[in-house]
Amino acid sequence: MSLLAVSNLTKRYRRGDNTIAAVDDVSFHIEPGETLALAGPSGSGKSTIARVVLRLIEPDDGRIEFEGDDFLALRSAALRARRARLQMVFQDPLAAFNPRATVARVLDDPLRIHGIASRSERPRRIAALLERVGLTADLAPRAIHEISGGQRQRVAIARAIATKPSLIVLDEAVSALDVSVRGEILELLLDLQRQEKIAYLFISHDLGVIRSIAHRVILLDAGRVAENGDARTVIDAPQSAIGKALVAAAPRLNRTLMRLASAGLD
Amino acid sequence: MSGRTEGGLIERRPQKSASKQSHTPRGGRDIGFVFQDPSASLDPVMPIGKQIAEVARTHLGLTWSQSYARAKTLLERVRLPDPDSALRAFPHQLSGGQKQRVAIAAAIAAGPKLLIADEATSALDTIVQAEIVALIRRLVTEDGMTLLFISHDIALAAELAGRIAVFRHGQLVELGMTAQIVDAPAQPYTRALLDAHIGLDTKPLLNRAGLHA
Ligand SMILES: Nc1ncnc2c1ncn2[C@@H]1O[C@H](COP(=O)(O)OP(=O)(O)OP(=O)(O)O)[C@@H](O)[C@H]1O
Ligand SMILES: [Mg+2]
Repeated sequence: MSLLAVSNLTKRYRRGDNTIAAVDDVSFHIEPGETLALAGPSGSGKSTIARVVLRLIEPDDGRIEFEGDDFLALRSAALRARRARLQMVFQDPLAAFNPRATVARVLDDPLRIHGIASRSERPRRIAALLERVGLTADLAPRAIHEISGGQRQRVAIARAIATKPSLIVLDEAVSALDVSVRGEILELLLDLQRQEKIAYLFISHDLGVIRSIAHRVILLDAGRVAENGDARTVIDAPQSAIGKALVAAAPRLNRTLMRLASAGLD
Repeated sequence: MSGRTEGGLIERRPQKSASKQSHTPRGGRDIGFVFQDPSASLDPVMPIGKQIAEVARTHLGLTWSQSYARAKTLLERVRLPDPDSALRAFPHQLSGGQKQRVAIAAAIAAGPKLLIADEATSALDTIVQAEIVALIRRLVTEDGMTLLFISHDIALAAELAGRIAVFRHGQLVELGMTAQIVDAPAQPYTRALLDAHIGLDTKPLLNRAGLHA
């Protein structure tokens, strides 16, 4: 049984007099402990899929099975309980918090809301979570705005894993990080996946990163699946027109160097 | 460990008869800014056509209808699909990359002499990114605009910039011609940045043996 099975998902938006199908009859599945990447042109429907899967918005059509349940049919308490198993990390995930909120506060919320640890247990849990993501417990009393972008992203991951999820949706979660921090965060995600068998739905424009960390990739174009397969196979030799165009346009250091060399020192 | 930022820059050749009288550069008119988070620079309750037109109207003294025409041309230049309906859209109705393109259109609406782009294309797919790079390059070579391009992506910076300045913790580590920085960096930190680049031919981090599907 797949961890997540999405069938025939459709989501339309109205803009002025036009209706656009942001997501148009999309189906896919994710297995436990697997990373499925979503890539595709800007506006192809990646974030819309993420929001539907997280049930932040309702689809017009389609079915989502998560851990064996008809996920779109879950309501109130049952939905809340299941939500603990499905977490998210976005580009600046702590932006929604008051910047003066402390790291401890950000991590306390999910533990309290989902009844995971009693009040007296929580400080110890928070310290353990911080250590799990490579931070030290003395960060707990610091305010969100006082810590670096890389540390914030680690806190966001700690918050996401606090409820022991089986799936984390990451929408451009590493795009804003500088390269050395990004490498460390990717290593952390892979390590969590190995240790806790967490699956990821990983949305990114960076084909190099997808090729580096994803098992499979789906390429979307105008709301539809254009190509679907093993991440390295697809990115090394895309078959769809959109896949070929995306790969051909990716910046390449070697190519730039050759151009500079042949142009001479301008 | 928090290394930071390659800045690439392209310089405009000094123009001989540029107006002599000195004035304080004005944001929007003389300097265009694009930031990483386009939501921060867009007004959530104003249609995007109006936001771009307003820049052109304020700084170029155009009428509203001329400004809207210019806004539409700019949306075409940044390759926004269906520019007519996009003019009337609000920021929340656009995807992340579409908003970023609107922010770029607004930044160049008044034909600034200097464009400061801070991670301005990080939310774009490779195809649109390449088109924006080509557009920016044309603004530099044809309109004589100067570009300060701030990016984590050294491969992208290398495509655009004549020179690259490498910064760490707010300090300049190295400054040189692009080919020298990329091909023969003088500083170990620059070398480390180049090594951290994940290209299409980099050895993957994921060890496939791990998955029990
Ligand atoms: N609230 C909304 N109202 C109207 N249209 C919307 C809304 N949200 C998204 N759209 C449209 O749906 C389409 C898909 O948007 P989505 O955000 O899913 O794209 P994306 O693949 O995440 O793009 P990006 O790579 O630029 O983030 C786009 O054309 C967008 O303009
Ligand atoms: Mg998106």
